[in-house]
Amino acid sequence: MKGATALRNRWQISPKTSEAIAAYLFLLPTLVTFFLFVLGPMLAAVGLSFFDYNLLKWNSSPEFIGFDNYRQLAEDGRIVSIYQTTLKIAVAEVALTIGLGLLIAYLLEQKMPSLLRSLFRMTYFFPYVVSVSAVALIWSYLLHKDFGIVNYYLGLLGIERISWLRSSQWSWVSIVITESWKSLGFNVLVLLGGLQTIPAEFYEAAEVDGANGWGKFRHVTLPLLTPTLLFLLVIDSINAFQIFAQPYILTQGGPGDSSRTVVMYIYEHGFRFFNMGYASTIALSLFAIILVLTIFQFRLSRRWVFYQ
Amino acid sequence: MSIEARRSAFAFHRRWRSFSWKTLLNVALLACGALIMVAPFAWIIQLAFTSNVSQVYEIPPRWFPTNPTLSNFADVFDQVPFDRFMWNSLKVAGSITMGQLVICSTGAFAFARLRFPGRDLLFILLLSGLMVPLQVTIVPLFILMRELDLYNTHWALILPPLANPFGVFLLRQYIMSVPKELDEAARIDGAGVFTIYWRIILPLIGPALVTLAILAFVFWWNDFFFPLIMINTPALQTLPVGLTLLRGHYDAGSLATVAAGITMAIVPVLIVFLLLQRNIIKSVATSGLKG
Repeated sequence: MKGATALRNRWQISPKTSEAIAAYLFLLPTLVTFFLFVLGPMLAAVGLSFFDYNLLKWNSSPEFIGFDNYRQLAEDGRIVSIYQTTLKIAVAEVALTIGLGLLIAYLLEQKMPSLLRSLFRMTYFFPYVVSVSAVALIWSYLLHKDFGIVNYYLGLLGIERISWLRSSQWSWVSIVITESWKSLGFNVLVLLGGLQTIPAEFYEAAEVDGANGWGKFRHVTLPLLTPTLLFLLVIDSINAFQIFAQPYILTQGGPGDSSRTVVMYIYEHGFRFFNMGYASTIALSLFAIILVLTIFQFRLSRRWVFYQ
Repeated sequence: MSIEARRSAFAFHRRWRSFSWKTLLNVALLACGALIMVAPFAWIIQLAFTSNVSQVYEIPPRWFPTNPTLSNFADVFDQVPFDRFMWNSLKVAGSITMGQLVICSTGAFAFARLRFPGRDLLFILLLSGLMVPLQVTIVPLFILMRELDLYNTHWALILPPLANPFGVFLLRQYIMSVPKELDEAARIDGAGVFTIYWRIILPLIGPALVTLAILAFVFWWNDFFFPLIMINTPALQTLPVGLTLLRGHYDAGSLATVAAGITMAIVPVLIVFLLLQRNIIKSVATSGLKG
Protein backbone atom coordinates (compact mmCIF):
# COMPACT_ATOMS: atom_id res chain seq x y z
CA MET A 1 0.00 0.00 0.00
CA LYS A 2 2.98 2.27 -0.62
CA GLY A 3 1.10 3.89 -3.49
CA ALA A 4 -1.76 4.84 -1.22
CA THR A 5 0.57 6.42 1.30
CA ALA A 6 2.30 8.45 -1.41
CA LEU A 7 -1.10 9.52 -2.74
CA ARG A 8 -2.20 10.51 0.73
CA ASN A 9 0.94 12.58 1.28
CA ARG A 10 0.65 14.41 -2.00
CA TRP A 11 -3.08 15.16 -1.81
CA GLN A 12 -3.25 15.53 1.95
CA ILE A 13 -6.00 12.92 2.25
CA SER A 14 -6.89 12.14 5.83
CA PRO A 15 -6.74 8.48 6.98
CA LYS A 16 -10.53 8.61 7.38
CA THR A 17 -11.07 9.58 3.75
CA SER A 18 -8.61 7.00 2.50
CA GLU A 19 -10.42 4.30 4.50
CA ALA A 20 -13.72 5.39 2.94
CA ILE A 21 -12.18 5.26 -0.54
CA ALA A 22 -10.84 1.76 0.14
CA ALA A 23 -14.26 0.75 1.46
CA TYR A 24 -16.04 1.89 -1.70
CA LEU A 25 -13.49 0.06 -3.82
CA PHE A 26 -14.09 -3.12 -1.83
CA LEU A 27 -17.84 -2.62 -2.14
CA LEU A 28 -17.81 -1.87 -5.84
CA PRO A 29 -18.35 -5.46 -7.09
CA THR A 30 -21.10 -6.07 -4.51
CA LEU A 31 -22.92 -2.85 -5.29
CA VAL A 32 -22.59 -3.05 -9.08
CA THR A 33 -23.92 -6.62 -9.22
CA PHE A 34 -26.64 -5.78 -6.69
CA PHE A 35 -27.94 -2.76 -8.58
CA LEU A 36 -27.60 -4.43 -11.98
CA PHE A 37 -29.10 -7.84 -11.16
CA VAL A 38 -31.35 -7.39 -8.09
CA LEU A 39 -32.50 -3.84 -7.36
CA GLY A 40 -32.57 -2.62 -10.97
CA PRO A 41 -34.58 -5.59 -12.26
CA MET A 42 -36.93 -5.33 -9.27
CA LEU A 43 -37.69 -1.69 -10.10
CA ALA A 44 -37.84 -2.52 -13.80
CA ALA A 45 -40.43 -5.21 -13.06
CA VAL A 46 -42.59 -2.61 -11.29
CA GLY A 47 -42.15 -0.30 -14.27
CA LEU A 48 -42.89 -3.03 -16.80
CA SER A 49 -46.17 -3.80 -15.10
CA PHE A 50 -47.46 -0.48 -16.46
CA PHE A 51 -46.43 -1.26 -20.02
CA ASP A 52 -47.57 -3.44 -22.85
CA TYR A 53 -44.36 -4.99 -24.09
CA ASN A 54 -44.63 -8.03 -26.32
CA LEU A 55 -41.37 -9.30 -27.76
CA LEU A 56 -43.16 -11.35 -30.40
CA LYS A 57 -44.73 -8.32 -32.05
CA TRP A 58 -42.87 -7.01 -35.02
CA ASN A 59 -40.93 -3.85 -34.16
CA SER A 60 -41.90 -4.28 -30.54
CA SER A 61 -41.42 -1.39 -28.16
CA PRO A 62 -42.93 -0.83 -24.71
CA GLU A 63 -46.20 1.04 -24.73
CA PHE A 64 -47.49 2.75 -21.58
CA ILE A 65 -50.93 1.43 -20.66
CA GLY A 66 -51.39 2.59 -17.05
CA PHE A 67 -53.14 0.06 -14.86
CA ASP A 68 -54.39 -2.12 -17.73
CA ASN A 69 -52.20 -5.07 -16.71
CA TYR A 70 -53.60 -4.94 -13.19
CA ARG A 71 -57.10 -4.72 -14.59
CA GLN A 72 -56.35 -7.75 -16.75
CA LEU A 73 -55.09 -9.58 -13.66
CA ALA A 74 -58.27 -8.79 -11.75
CA GLU A 75 -60.39 -10.07 -14.64
CA ASP A 76 -58.20 -13.04 -15.50
CA GLY A 77 -60.46 -16.09 -15.24
CA ARG A 78 -57.55 -18.48 -14.73
CA ILE A 79 -55.61 -16.64 -12.06
CA VAL A 80 -57.97 -17.42 -9.18
CA SER A 81 -57.93 -21.16 -9.78
CA ILE A 82 -54.15 -21.08 -10.31
CA TYR A 83 -53.68 -19.33 -6.97
CA GLN A 84 -56.01 -21.85 -5.36
CA THR A 85 -53.99 -24.74 -6.76
CA THR A 86 -50.73 -23.14 -5.62
CA LEU A 87 -52.16 -22.60 -2.14
CA LYS A 88 -53.49 -26.17 -2.01
CA ILE A 89 -50.10 -27.61 -2.98
CA ALA A 90 -48.24 -25.30 -0.60
CA VAL A 91 -50.43 -26.02 2.44
CA ALA A 92 -50.31 -29.78 1.87
CA GLU A 93 -46.56 -29.81 1.28
CA VAL A 94 -45.73 -27.63 4.27
CA ALA A 95 -47.99 -29.63 6.59
CA LEU A 96 -46.63 -32.95 5.32
CA THR A 97 -42.94 -32.05 5.46
CA ILE A 98 -43.16 -30.39 8.88
CA GLY A 99 -45.28 -33.22 10.32
CA LEU A 100 -43.20 -36.06 8.94
CA GLY A 101 -40.00 -34.10 9.55
CA LEU A 102 -40.91 -33.74 13.21
CA LEU A 103 -41.66 -37.46 13.53
CA ILE A 104 -38.40 -38.50 11.84
CA ALA A 105 -36.27 -35.99 13.73
CA TYR A 106 -37.83 -37.14 17.01
CA LEU A 107 -37.16 -40.81 16.23
CA LEU A 108 -33.59 -39.96 15.20
CA GLU A 109 -32.98 -38.31 18.56
CA GLN A 110 -33.85 -41.49 20.45
CA LYS A 111 -31.21 -43.91 21.64
CA MET A 112 -29.56 -45.84 18.79
CA PRO A 113 -26.08 -46.65 17.49
CA SER A 114 -24.57 -43.40 16.23
CA LEU A 115 -23.45 -44.95 12.94
CA LEU A 116 -27.04 -45.92 12.20
CA ARG A 117 -28.17 -42.41 13.09
CA SER A 118 -25.79 -40.68 10.67
CA LEU A 119 -26.66 -43.22 7.97
CA PHE A 120 -30.36 -42.41 8.35
CA ARG A 121 -29.68 -38.71 8.41
CA MET A 122 -27.75 -38.95 5.13
CA THR A 123 -30.40 -41.11 3.50
CA TYR A 124 -33.23 -38.74 4.31
CA PHE A 125 -31.21 -35.73 3.25
CA PHE A 126 -29.77 -36.97 -0.04
CA PRO A 127 -32.79 -36.20 -2.31
CA TYR A 128 -32.48 -32.57 -1.25
CA VAL A 129 -29.14 -32.15 -3.06
CA VAL A 130 -30.29 -33.96 -6.22
CA SER A 131 -31.45 -31.69 -9.03
CA VAL A 132 -35.17 -31.09 -9.16
CA SER A 133 -35.36 -32.25 -12.78
CA ALA A 134 -33.82 -35.66 -11.99
CA VAL A 135 -36.29 -36.05 -9.11
CA ALA A 136 -39.26 -35.02 -11.25
CA LEU A 137 -38.22 -37.36 -14.07
CA ILE A 138 -37.82 -40.30 -11.69
CA TRP A 139 -41.24 -39.69 -10.17
CA SER A 140 -42.87 -39.25 -13.57
CA TYR A 141 -42.06 -42.94 -14.11
CA LEU A 142 -42.79 -44.09 -10.56
CA LEU A 143 -46.24 -42.51 -10.76
CA HIS A 144 -47.08 -43.76 -14.24
CA LYS A 145 -50.58 -45.20 -14.23
CA ASP A 146 -49.85 -48.51 -15.95
CA PHE A 147 -46.26 -49.47 -15.28
CA GLY A 148 -45.34 -47.23 -12.33
CA ILE A 149 -44.31 -49.10 -9.22
CA VAL A 150 -46.36 -46.83 -6.94
CA ASN A 151 -49.60 -48.15 -8.43
CA TYR A 152 -48.23 -51.71 -8.36
CA TYR A 153 -47.52 -51.64 -4.63
CA LEU A 154 -50.78 -49.81 -3.91
CA GLY A 155 -52.44 -52.59 -5.93
CA LEU A 156 -51.02 -55.15 -3.52
CA LEU A 157 -52.87 -53.28 -0.79
CA GLY A 158 -56.05 -53.56 -2.82
CA ILE A 159 -56.09 -49.97 -4.12
CA GLU A 160 -57.14 -49.51 -7.72
CA ARG A 161 -54.79 -47.91 -10.23
CA ILE A 162 -54.68 -44.16 -9.85
CA SER A 163 -54.06 -41.86 -12.78
CA TRP A 164 -51.59 -39.76 -10.83
CA LEU A 165 -50.43 -37.47 -13.62
CA ARG A 166 -53.34 -37.35 -16.04
CA SER A 167 -56.35 -36.68 -13.84
CA SER A 168 -57.25 -33.31 -12.38
CA GLN A 169 -58.18 -35.01 -9.11
CA TRP A 170 -54.68 -36.39 -8.50
CA SER A 171 -52.20 -34.32 -10.51
CA TRP A 172 -51.70 -31.76 -7.74
CA VAL A 173 -51.30 -34.58 -5.23
CA SER A 174 -48.41 -35.93 -7.34
CA ILE A 175 -46.69 -32.56 -7.07
CA VAL A 176 -47.16 -32.59 -3.29
CA ILE A 177 -45.74 -36.12 -3.02
CA THR A 178 -42.61 -35.47 -5.10
CA GLU A 179 -41.94 -32.05 -3.58
CA SER A 180 -42.33 -33.41 -0.06
CA TRP A 181 -40.14 -36.41 -0.82
CA LYS A 182 -37.41 -34.11 -2.07
CA SER A 183 -37.47 -31.50 0.68
CA LEU A 184 -38.33 -33.63 3.72
CA GLY A 185 -34.63 -34.05 4.54
CA PHE A 186 -34.14 -30.31 4.92
CA ASN A 187 -36.89 -30.13 7.54
CA VAL A 188 -35.49 -33.16 9.35
CA LEU A 189 -32.10 -31.48 9.47
CA VAL A 190 -33.39 -28.17 10.82
CA LEU A 191 -35.65 -29.89 13.37
CA LEU A 192 -32.75 -32.07 14.54
CA GLY A 193 -30.82 -28.86 15.16
CA GLY A 194 -33.76 -27.51 17.13
CA LEU A 195 -34.11 -30.68 19.21
CA GLN A 196 -30.45 -30.60 20.12
CA THR A 197 -30.77 -27.13 21.67
CA ILE A 198 -33.29 -28.38 24.26
CA PRO A 199 -31.41 -28.81 27.57
CA ALA A 200 -31.52 -32.33 29.06
CA GLU A 201 -32.47 -30.88 32.46
CA PHE A 202 -35.91 -30.00 31.12
CA TYR A 203 -36.60 -33.66 30.37
CA GLU A 204 -35.21 -34.72 33.74
CA ALA A 205 -37.45 -32.22 35.48
CA ALA A 206 -40.46 -33.51 33.56
CA GLU A 207 -39.56 -37.10 34.53
CA VAL A 208 -39.40 -36.10 38.17
CA ASP A 209 -42.90 -34.66 37.75
CA GLY A 210 -43.99 -38.04 36.44
CA ALA A 211 -44.32 -37.25 32.73
CA ASN A 212 -44.33 -40.21 30.34
CA GLY A 213 -43.01 -40.23 26.75
CA TRP A 214 -45.99 -38.42 25.23
CA GLY A 215 -46.17 -35.98 28.12
CA LYS A 216 -42.53 -35.04 27.70
CA PHE A 217 -43.03 -34.54 23.97
CA ARG A 218 -46.20 -32.52 24.42
CA HIS A 219 -45.05 -30.32 27.29
CA VAL A 220 -41.28 -30.03 26.81
CA THR A 221 -40.23 -30.85 23.24
CA LEU A 222 -43.07 -29.19 21.36
CA PRO A 223 -43.12 -25.81 23.18
CA LEU A 224 -39.33 -25.48 23.03
CA LEU A 225 -39.36 -26.39 19.35
CA THR A 226 -41.84 -23.68 18.34
CA PRO A 227 -39.17 -21.15 17.22
CA THR A 228 -37.72 -23.81 14.88
CA LEU A 229 -41.22 -24.66 13.65
CA LEU A 230 -41.89 -20.99 12.89
CA PHE A 231 -38.63 -20.75 10.92
CA LEU A 232 -39.60 -23.82 8.88
CA LEU A 233 -43.17 -22.63 8.38
CA VAL A 234 -41.93 -19.34 6.92
CA ILE A 235 -39.12 -20.76 4.77
CA ASP A 236 -41.14 -23.75 3.54
CA SER A 237 -44.13 -21.58 2.66
CA ILE A 238 -41.99 -19.13 0.68
CA ASN A 239 -40.41 -22.01 -1.21
CA ALA A 240 -43.70 -23.84 -1.73
CA PHE A 241 -45.30 -20.77 -3.31
CA GLN A 242 -42.48 -20.72 -5.85
CA ILE A 243 -42.77 -24.31 -7.08
CA PHE A 244 -42.09 -24.52 -10.80
CA ALA A 245 -39.92 -27.37 -12.06
CA GLN A 246 -41.89 -30.28 -10.60
CA PRO A 247 -45.22 -29.46 -12.26
CA TYR A 248 -43.40 -28.26 -15.40
CA ILE A 249 -41.81 -31.70 -15.85
CA LEU A 250 -44.38 -33.99 -14.22
CA THR A 251 -47.72 -32.70 -15.47
CA GLN A 252 -47.06 -29.57 -17.56
CA GLY A 253 -49.58 -27.94 -15.26
CA GLY A 254 -52.41 -30.10 -16.51
CA PRO A 255 -54.80 -31.53 -17.08
CA GLY A 256 -56.28 -28.10 -17.69
CA ASP A 257 -54.90 -25.91 -14.94
CA SER A 258 -55.32 -28.53 -12.24
CA SER A 259 -51.65 -28.58 -11.25
CA ARG A 260 -50.54 -25.22 -12.63
CA THR A 261 -48.66 -23.05 -10.14
CA VAL A 262 -48.33 -19.27 -10.26
CA VAL A 263 -44.69 -19.45 -11.34
CA MET A 264 -45.70 -21.72 -14.24
CA TYR A 265 -48.26 -19.09 -15.22
CA ILE A 266 -45.57 -16.37 -15.07
CA TYR A 267 -43.38 -18.57 -17.27
CA GLU A 268 -46.25 -19.13 -19.70
CA HIS A 269 -46.96 -15.42 -20.15
CA GLY A 270 -43.33 -14.34 -20.03
CA PHE A 271 -41.56 -16.97 -22.06
CA ARG A 272 -44.24 -18.62 -24.22
CA PHE A 273 -46.32 -15.58 -25.16
CA PHE A 274 -43.53 -13.07 -24.38
CA ASN A 275 -45.94 -10.70 -22.67
CA MET A 276 -43.28 -9.03 -20.56
CA GLY A 277 -45.62 -6.50 -18.95
CA TYR A 278 -48.30 -8.94 -17.91
CA ALA A 279 -45.76 -11.54 -16.72
CA SER A 280 -44.20 -8.90 -14.46
CA THR A 281 -47.63 -8.00 -13.09
CA ILE A 282 -48.37 -11.62 -12.14
CA ALA A 283 -44.90 -11.94 -10.58
CA LEU A 284 -45.45 -8.83 -8.49
CA SER A 285 -48.80 -10.13 -7.31
CA LEU A 286 -47.05 -13.33 -6.16
CA PHE A 287 -44.38 -11.29 -4.41
CA ALA A 288 -47.02 -9.23 -2.62
CA ILE A 289 -48.95 -12.31 -1.52
CA ILE A 290 -45.82 -14.04 -0.20
CA LEU A 291 -44.87 -10.86 1.66
CA VAL A 292 -48.32 -10.50 3.25
CA LEU A 293 -48.37 -14.20 4.14
CA THR A 294 -44.96 -13.99 5.81
CA ILE A 295 -45.93 -10.90 7.83
CA PHE A 296 -49.16 -12.65 8.80
CA GLN A 297 -47.26 -15.75 9.94
CA PHE A 298 -44.96 -13.64 12.10
CA ARG A 299 -47.91 -11.76 13.61
CA LEU A 300 -49.77 -14.94 14.39
CA SER A 301 -46.61 -16.50 15.81
CA ARG A 302 -46.87 -14.33 18.93
CA ARG A 303 -49.76 -16.54 19.98
CA TRP A 304 -48.01 -19.89 19.67
CA VAL A 305 -44.24 -19.46 19.56
CA PHE A 306 -42.54 -19.86 22.90
CA TYR A 307 -39.11 -18.32 23.46
CA GLN A 308 -36.93 -19.58 26.31
CA MET B 1 -8.56 -62.58 31.28
CA SER B 2 -6.58 -59.49 30.43
CA ILE B 3 -7.88 -56.09 31.38
CA GLU B 4 -8.52 -55.28 27.72
CA ALA B 5 -10.64 -58.38 27.22
CA ARG B 6 -12.57 -57.73 30.39
CA ARG B 7 -13.20 -54.19 29.35
CA SER B 8 -14.51 -55.19 25.95
CA ALA B 9 -16.65 -57.91 27.50
CA PHE B 10 -18.10 -55.31 29.80
CA ALA B 11 -18.74 -52.92 26.90
CA PHE B 12 -20.45 -55.74 25.03
CA HIS B 13 -22.60 -56.51 28.04
CA ARG B 14 -23.51 -52.87 28.45
CA ARG B 15 -24.45 -52.54 24.83
CA TRP B 16 -26.79 -55.48 25.15
CA ARG B 17 -28.29 -54.14 28.30
CA SER B 18 -29.06 -50.89 26.55
CA PHE B 19 -30.84 -52.79 23.79
CA SER B 20 -34.57 -52.40 24.05
CA TRP B 21 -37.62 -53.20 22.01
CA LYS B 22 -38.34 -49.49 21.84
CA THR B 23 -35.03 -48.82 20.08
CA LEU B 24 -35.74 -51.66 17.67
CA LEU B 25 -39.16 -50.23 16.87
CA ASN B 26 -37.68 -46.75 16.28
CA VAL B 27 -35.01 -48.13 13.98
CA ALA B 28 -37.56 -50.24 12.11
CA LEU B 29 -39.80 -47.21 11.54
CA LEU B 30 -36.87 -45.10 10.36
CA ALA B 31 -35.72 -47.92 8.09
CA CYS B 32 -39.15 -48.06 6.43
CA GLY B 33 -38.93 -44.35 5.73
CA ALA B 34 -35.35 -44.65 4.52
CA LEU B 35 -36.45 -47.37 2.11
CA ILE B 36 -38.91 -44.92 0.55
CA MET B 37 -36.06 -42.42 0.13
CA VAL B 38 -33.72 -44.97 -1.48
CA ALA B 39 -36.10 -47.13 -3.54
CA PRO B 40 -36.76 -44.55 -6.32
CA PHE B 41 -33.01 -44.17 -6.94
CA ALA B 42 -32.43 -47.92 -6.79
CA TRP B 43 -35.22 -48.55 -9.27
CA ILE B 44 -34.05 -45.94 -11.78
CA ILE B 45 -30.43 -47.14 -11.54
CA GLN B 46 -31.33 -50.76 -12.20
CA LEU B 47 -33.44 -49.59 -15.16
CA ALA B 48 -30.36 -47.93 -16.61
CA PHE B 49 -28.75 -51.35 -16.95
CA THR B 50 -31.68 -53.26 -18.46
CA SER B 51 -30.96 -54.79 -21.82
CA ASN B 52 -34.43 -55.73 -22.88
CA VAL B 53 -37.09 -53.12 -23.55
CA SER B 54 -39.84 -55.42 -22.34
CA GLN B 55 -38.17 -55.64 -18.93
CA VAL B 56 -38.59 -51.91 -18.49
CA TYR B 57 -42.35 -52.08 -18.35
CA GLU B 58 -42.47 -55.30 -16.40
CA ILE B 59 -44.96 -55.79 -13.60
CA PRO B 60 -44.13 -56.80 -10.90
CA PRO B 61 -41.17 -54.43 -11.01
CA ARG B 62 -37.67 -55.82 -11.03
CA TRP B 63 -35.04 -54.70 -8.59
CA PHE B 64 -32.11 -56.35 -10.36
CA PRO B 65 -31.69 -56.43 -14.14
CA THR B 66 -31.03 -59.78 -15.84
CA ASN B 67 -28.21 -59.51 -18.40
CA PRO B 68 -27.10 -56.01 -17.38
CA THR B 69 -25.79 -53.88 -20.24
CA LEU B 70 -24.09 -50.53 -20.69
CA SER B 71 -25.70 -49.80 -24.05
CA ASN B 72 -28.25 -47.41 -22.54
CA PHE B 73 -25.40 -45.17 -21.45
CA ALA B 74 -24.05 -45.12 -25.00
CA ASP B 75 -27.54 -44.22 -26.23
CA VAL B 76 -27.54 -41.17 -23.96
CA PHE B 77 -24.44 -39.83 -25.70
CA ASP B 78 -25.95 -40.59 -29.12
CA GLN B 79 -29.07 -38.61 -28.38
CA VAL B 80 -27.80 -35.58 -26.48
CA PRO B 81 -24.38 -33.98 -25.88
CA PHE B 82 -24.33 -35.31 -22.33
CA ASP B 83 -20.64 -34.61 -21.77
CA ARG B 84 -21.28 -31.01 -22.83
CA PHE B 85 -24.14 -30.71 -20.30
CA MET B 86 -21.83 -31.97 -17.59
CA TRP B 87 -19.06 -29.57 -18.56
CA ASN B 88 -21.46 -26.62 -18.93
CA SER B 89 -22.91 -27.27 -15.47
CA LEU B 90 -19.45 -27.52 -13.98
CA LYS B 91 -18.33 -24.34 -15.72
CA VAL B 92 -21.41 -22.31 -14.81
CA ALA B 93 -21.73 -23.48 -11.19
CA GLY B 94 -17.96 -23.24 -10.71
CA SER B 95 -17.74 -19.70 -12.12
CA ILE B 96 -20.68 -18.51 -10.02
CA THR B 97 -19.11 -20.01 -6.91
CA MET B 98 -15.70 -18.43 -7.53
CA GLY B 99 -17.29 -15.08 -8.39
CA GLN B 100 -19.50 -15.10 -5.30
CA LEU B 101 -16.54 -15.92 -3.05
CA VAL B 102 -14.63 -12.89 -4.32
CA ILE B 103 -17.56 -10.47 -4.46
CA CYS B 104 -19.25 -11.46 -1.20
CA SER B 105 -16.00 -11.57 0.78
CA THR B 106 -14.82 -8.13 -0.34
CA GLY B 107 -18.27 -6.63 0.26
CA ALA B 108 -18.61 -8.34 3.64
CA PHE B 109 -15.15 -7.12 4.65
CA ALA B 110 -16.08 -3.52 3.89
CA PHE B 111 -19.34 -3.76 5.84
CA ALA B 112 -17.75 -5.52 8.80
CA ARG B 113 -14.45 -3.67 9.16
CA LEU B 114 -14.31 -0.33 7.34
CA ARG B 115 -15.94 2.97 8.24
CA PHE B 116 -17.51 5.00 5.46
CA PRO B 117 -20.47 7.33 4.99
CA GLY B 118 -23.74 5.54 4.18
CA ARG B 119 -22.62 2.17 5.53
CA ASP B 120 -25.76 1.31 7.47
CA LEU B 121 -28.08 2.58 4.78
CA LEU B 122 -26.33 0.55 2.07
CA PHE B 123 -26.37 -2.54 4.27
CA ILE B 124 -30.11 -2.26 4.91
CA LEU B 125 -30.69 -1.74 1.19
CA LEU B 126 -28.67 -4.87 0.47
CA LEU B 127 -30.62 -6.87 3.05
CA SER B 128 -33.89 -5.79 1.46
CA GLY B 129 -32.61 -7.63 -1.61
CA LEU B 130 -33.02 -10.89 0.33
CA MET B 131 -36.75 -10.58 -0.17
CA VAL B 132 -36.67 -10.08 -3.93
CA PRO B 133 -37.64 -13.37 -5.57
CA LEU B 134 -36.12 -14.56 -8.83
CA GLN B 135 -39.55 -14.85 -10.43
CA VAL B 136 -39.95 -11.08 -10.24
CA THR B 137 -36.52 -10.19 -11.61
CA ILE B 138 -36.39 -12.90 -14.27
CA VAL B 139 -38.36 -10.93 -16.89
CA PRO B 140 -36.19 -7.77 -16.66
CA LEU B 141 -33.05 -9.95 -16.48
CA PHE B 142 -34.13 -11.73 -19.66
CA ILE B 143 -34.66 -8.39 -21.43
CA LEU B 144 -31.31 -7.11 -20.08
CA MET B 145 -29.44 -10.16 -21.35
CA ARG B 146 -31.07 -9.81 -24.77
CA GLU B 147 -30.12 -6.13 -24.93
CA LEU B 148 -26.52 -6.95 -23.95
CA ASP B 149 -26.46 -9.69 -26.60
CA LEU B 150 -25.71 -12.22 -23.87
CA TYR B 151 -28.92 -14.23 -24.27
CA ASN B 152 -28.13 -17.87 -25.04
CA THR B 153 -24.58 -17.59 -23.70
CA HIS B 154 -23.17 -18.82 -20.42
CA TRP B 155 -22.73 -15.20 -19.33
CA ALA B 156 -26.50 -14.99 -18.98
CA LEU B 157 -26.34 -17.82 -16.45
CA ILE B 158 -23.22 -16.69 -14.59
CA LEU B 159 -23.67 -12.92 -14.21
CA PRO B 160 -27.04 -12.49 -12.43
CA PRO B 161 -26.29 -14.96 -9.59
CA LEU B 162 -23.09 -13.04 -8.76
CA ALA B 163 -25.28 -10.69 -6.75
CA ASN B 164 -25.88 -12.59 -3.52
CA PRO B 165 -27.01 -10.43 -0.57
CA PHE B 166 -27.34 -13.55 1.58
CA GLY B 167 -23.68 -14.41 0.96
CA VAL B 168 -22.55 -10.91 1.94
CA PHE B 169 -24.66 -11.12 5.09
CA LEU B 170 -23.34 -14.59 6.00
CA LEU B 171 -19.68 -13.59 5.60
CA ARG B 172 -20.17 -10.24 7.35
CA GLN B 173 -21.56 -11.96 10.43
CA TYR B 174 -18.60 -14.32 10.43
CA ILE B 175 -16.03 -11.53 10.01
CA MET B 176 -17.62 -9.64 12.92
CA SER B 177 -16.74 -12.61 15.14
CA VAL B 178 -13.02 -12.32 14.26
CA PRO B 179 -11.27 -10.32 17.04
CA LYS B 180 -10.67 -6.76 15.88
CA GLU B 181 -7.33 -6.63 17.75
CA LEU B 182 -5.87 -8.75 14.96
CA ASP B 183 -6.44 -6.06 12.30
CA GLU B 184 -5.37 -3.30 14.67
CA ALA B 185 -2.10 -5.07 15.41
CA ALA B 186 -1.51 -5.51 11.69
CA ARG B 187 -2.37 -1.86 11.06
CA ILE B 188 0.19 -0.74 13.63
CA ASP B 189 2.73 -2.91 11.79
CA GLY B 190 1.96 -0.84 8.71
CA ALA B 191 -0.42 -3.22 6.90
CA GLY B 192 -2.81 -1.58 4.42
CA VAL B 193 -6.49 -2.38 4.02
CA PHE B 194 -5.91 -4.94 1.29
CA THR B 195 -3.23 -6.74 3.30
CA ILE B 196 -5.60 -7.01 6.26
CA TYR B 197 -8.32 -8.44 4.01
CA TRP B 198 -6.00 -10.86 2.22
CA ARG B 199 -3.59 -11.96 4.93
CA ILE B 200 -5.69 -11.76 8.09
CA ILE B 201 -9.44 -11.91 7.45
CA LEU B 202 -9.61 -14.37 4.54
CA PRO B 203 -7.52 -17.09 6.22
CA LEU B 204 -9.63 -16.80 9.37
CA ILE B 205 -13.06 -17.09 7.73
CA GLY B 206 -12.33 -20.38 5.92
CA PRO B 207 -15.35 -22.26 7.35
CA ALA B 208 -17.76 -19.51 6.26
CA LEU B 209 -16.23 -19.46 2.77
CA VAL B 210 -16.68 -23.24 2.55
CA THR B 211 -20.33 -22.87 3.58
CA LEU B 212 -20.94 -20.18 0.95
CA ALA B 213 -19.12 -22.19 -1.73
CA ILE B 214 -21.15 -25.33 -1.02
CA LEU B 215 -24.46 -23.46 -1.01
CA ALA B 216 -23.68 -21.60 -4.22
CA PHE B 217 -22.39 -24.66 -6.05
CA VAL B 218 -25.21 -26.99 -5.01
CA PHE B 219 -27.89 -24.40 -5.78
CA TRP B 220 -26.63 -23.38 -9.22
CA TRP B 221 -25.53 -26.88 -10.24
CA ASN B 222 -29.14 -27.94 -9.70
CA ASP B 223 -30.89 -24.83 -10.99
CA PHE B 224 -33.56 -25.50 -13.59
CA PHE B 225 -35.34 -22.16 -14.02
CA PHE B 226 -32.50 -19.94 -15.25
CA PRO B 227 -31.03 -22.18 -17.97
CA LEU B 228 -34.53 -23.06 -19.17
CA ILE B 229 -35.13 -19.38 -19.90
CA MET B 230 -31.69 -18.11 -20.87
CA ILE B 231 -30.40 -20.96 -23.06
CA ASN B 232 -31.98 -22.46 -26.16
CA THR B 233 -29.05 -24.25 -27.85
CA PRO B 234 -28.73 -27.85 -26.59
CA ALA B 235 -24.92 -27.73 -26.78
CA LEU B 236 -24.91 -24.82 -24.31
CA GLN B 237 -27.47 -26.34 -21.97
CA THR B 238 -26.71 -27.38 -18.39
CA LEU B 239 -27.44 -30.79 -16.91
CA PRO B 240 -30.84 -30.25 -15.21
CA VAL B 241 -32.53 -28.96 -18.37
CA GLY B 242 -30.39 -31.23 -20.58
CA LEU B 243 -31.77 -34.30 -18.80
CA THR B 244 -35.31 -33.39 -19.78
CA LEU B 245 -34.25 -33.23 -23.45
CA LEU B 246 -33.62 -36.98 -23.25
CA ARG B 247 -37.29 -37.57 -22.69
CA GLY B 248 -37.97 -36.18 -26.14
CA HIS B 249 -41.14 -34.60 -27.45
CA TYR B 250 -44.33 -36.12 -26.08
CA ASP B 251 -42.29 -38.42 -23.80
CA ALA B 252 -41.16 -40.42 -26.84
CA GLY B 253 -37.69 -41.09 -25.43
CA SER B 254 -36.80 -44.57 -24.24
CA LEU B 255 -37.27 -45.03 -20.52
CA ALA B 256 -34.02 -46.98 -20.17
CA THR B 257 -32.08 -44.17 -21.88
CA VAL B 258 -33.60 -41.53 -19.61
CA ALA B 259 -32.77 -43.77 -16.63
CA ALA B 260 -29.16 -44.01 -17.81
CA GLY B 261 -29.00 -40.21 -18.10
CA ILE B 262 -30.44 -39.73 -14.62
CA THR B 263 -28.00 -42.28 -13.22
CA MET B 264 -25.05 -40.45 -14.75
CA ALA B 265 -26.36 -37.20 -13.31
CA ILE B 266 -26.90 -38.62 -9.83
CA VAL B 267 -23.81 -40.76 -9.26
CA PRO B 268 -21.29 -37.86 -9.22
CA VAL B 269 -23.58 -35.97 -6.83
CA LEU B 270 -23.76 -39.06 -4.61
CA ILE B 271 -19.98 -39.43 -4.53
CA VAL B 272 -19.39 -35.77 -3.71
CA PHE B 273 -22.18 -35.92 -1.14
CA LEU B 274 -20.64 -38.93 0.60
CA LEU B 275 -17.23 -37.24 0.68
CA LEU B 276 -18.44 -33.86 1.92
CA GLN B 277 -21.68 -34.78 3.71
CA ARG B 278 -20.67 -33.32 7.04
CA ASN B 279 -19.89 -29.95 5.45
CA ILE B 280 -22.88 -30.03 3.13
CA ILE B 281 -25.35 -30.87 5.89
CA LYS B 282 -23.94 -28.14 8.12
CA SER B 283 -24.01 -25.56 5.31
CA VAL B 284 -27.57 -26.24 4.25
CA ALA B 285 -28.72 -26.15 7.86
CA THR B 286 -27.54 -22.54 8.05
CA SER B 287 -29.67 -21.43 5.13
CA GLY B 288 -33.14 -21.69 3.82
CA LEU B 289 -32.10 -21.98 0.21
CA LYS B 290 -33.94 -24.51 -1.82
CA GLY B 291 -32.12 -26.58 -4.46
